[in-house]
Amino acid sequence: MTVTEPAAASSRDYDSLPSTSPLGAPLDWKWLKGAKSEWGVRPKIGPRGLTMLDIAVGSYGDVPEHPTHRSMAPRGADVDPETPDMGYILNNKTDVWAENVTELYEEAVARQWSATRDIPWSELPELPDDIEHAMCQVCTTLTEVEMIAADLPAKWMWRMNHDFIEAKMFLCTQIMDEARHAEVFRKRALANGGGLLMSRGSSEGLLRTILEAKTYHQATALMHLLGEGFILDIFRMGELIAPSPVEKRMFRMAMQDEARHVAYGTMHIRYAVEHDPDIAEEIHEALDHGEVVLTQFGTNQDFGTALAVLLGGGVDHVESSGFALQAEMQRKQFTSYLARCERAGISRLERTKLPLDLLGIDPATVLAN
Amino acid sequence: MDITDITLYRAMADELNAHPETFTVLGECDMVLALVMRGDQEAGETDFAVRLRFEGLRCEGADEVAASEAPLADYYLDGPLAKWQAMFDDIVANGAASGRQTINSLALLATSADDVRLRGDDPMGTDKFSRFNQTLQEYLDGAARVAVSA
Repeated sequence: MTVTEPAAASSRDYDSLPSTSPLGAPLDWKWLKGAKSEWGVRPKIGPRGLTMLDIAVGSYGDVPEHPTHRSMAPRGADVDPETPDMGYILNNKTDVWAENVTELYEEAVARQWSATRDIPWSELPELPDDIEHAMCQVCTTLTEVEMIAADLPAKWMWRMNHDFIEAKMFLCTQIMDEARHAEVFRKRALANGGGLLMSRGSSEGLLRTILEAKTYHQATALMHLLGEGFILDIFRMGELIAPSPVEKRMFRMAMQDEARHVAYGTMHIRYAVEHDPDIAEEIHEALDHGEVVLTQFGTNQDFGTALAVLLGGGVDHVESSGFALQAEMQRKQFTSYLARCERAGISRLERTKLPLDLLGIDPATVLAN
Repeated sequence: MDITDITLYRAMADELNAHPETFTVLGECDMVLALVMRGDQEAGETDFAVRLRFEGLRCEGADEVAASEAPLADYYLDGPLAKWQAMFDDIVANGAASGRQTINSLALLATSADDVRLRGDDPMGTDKFSRFNQTLQEYLDGAARVAVSA
């Protein structure tokens, strides 16, 4: 909750201040007079401190649809007309914004964790050889794919207009989250005497598709809706595949982070499509291709068989139960993705490239999800 | 342990609020959710619903509400009373939810109204189930400590 107080006029005039420095350089005291800023606006500090939501008061809380400046000047400052153009290309609010992005930034800051300290590594039990290999393979693939969600925003952030600072700040937290995910999965692969195992082209194909998206809308649809949504569901499955409480903890903590990223992407796409329906086709085109490469990734023989071994509880059960459970989980993953698209305002049910019949997905289930 | 008694949920809130050190690592959390437990009407059971309000590192409210009010929350978890009973029994028996009795696994594996399903109309609200999942799980696991001290 925030309140504002009426702007108070400066009680002093500073007209007697010198117009040149001791070295003779010209001085401008405009900043001291408050210029156009809303001097006197005072956010109310909440019970947990001063949040970004608390300071979004007066004009400082107004995020323009089409910023007039393309500099790094803070939104709300008086900007010198000589300030250079930074070359931003994402200059419309629909390009990057989501209604929940400020809340998500604060949440991310409040819910950071440490892969060094908050995972009970010393409690890792000795595991059967097949289970340890399977966990190491899963962690190898996850280590490989996690950093795409850091590289991708890094590729685009410097092209985003600085008036959308909250969106850029949120993406910074996403980058930190993904660094931690790469860290925690790499650590798990190495922590129990196993190691990093197979990497194949099907993973790289998906990553390259995301990284090379032509627009940020396409990039975020591919990354947040498709890729991270898929990985979020794997993390949610973590409780089913984790052989010990250590891995359970790892997946649970990563799940919460990943859910923030998906929440941003879902609401960003929704905001963009609501304000500019023409964007929908651009996103559909990206997802047409993305779904094909995601299916290739989802059927990756190393990652897929390792998941099946973990779900079945070992190679001896992979045929009797592992593959069936994996198929059930895939059905849930793709159903969850299609439901997310519905929530984002991009219905894929009539257009999806996913083999719904083969996966056993009933569109009615998607709509009810 | 009567899981349709609102005092249980208030005791779990007190348990959570008494141990901020447990929740500090999970971080602050702002969400309102409801747990809806559908009674077996043929067996003479009635529905029970509780609305939980989390703010910062605390659970600030546990109130009994009508099941029809559950959609007013950010999200709600809706399932047969017997499934909820099995979850709480597992928590009490193991000190914390185990196996497929975690709230995440229950919702993930749900296929019909015979399971505990995640529901909600607002995507920003239902997102909170995963974003704050471990805070909710820690709260629910508190039932084990409440049961021991009862």
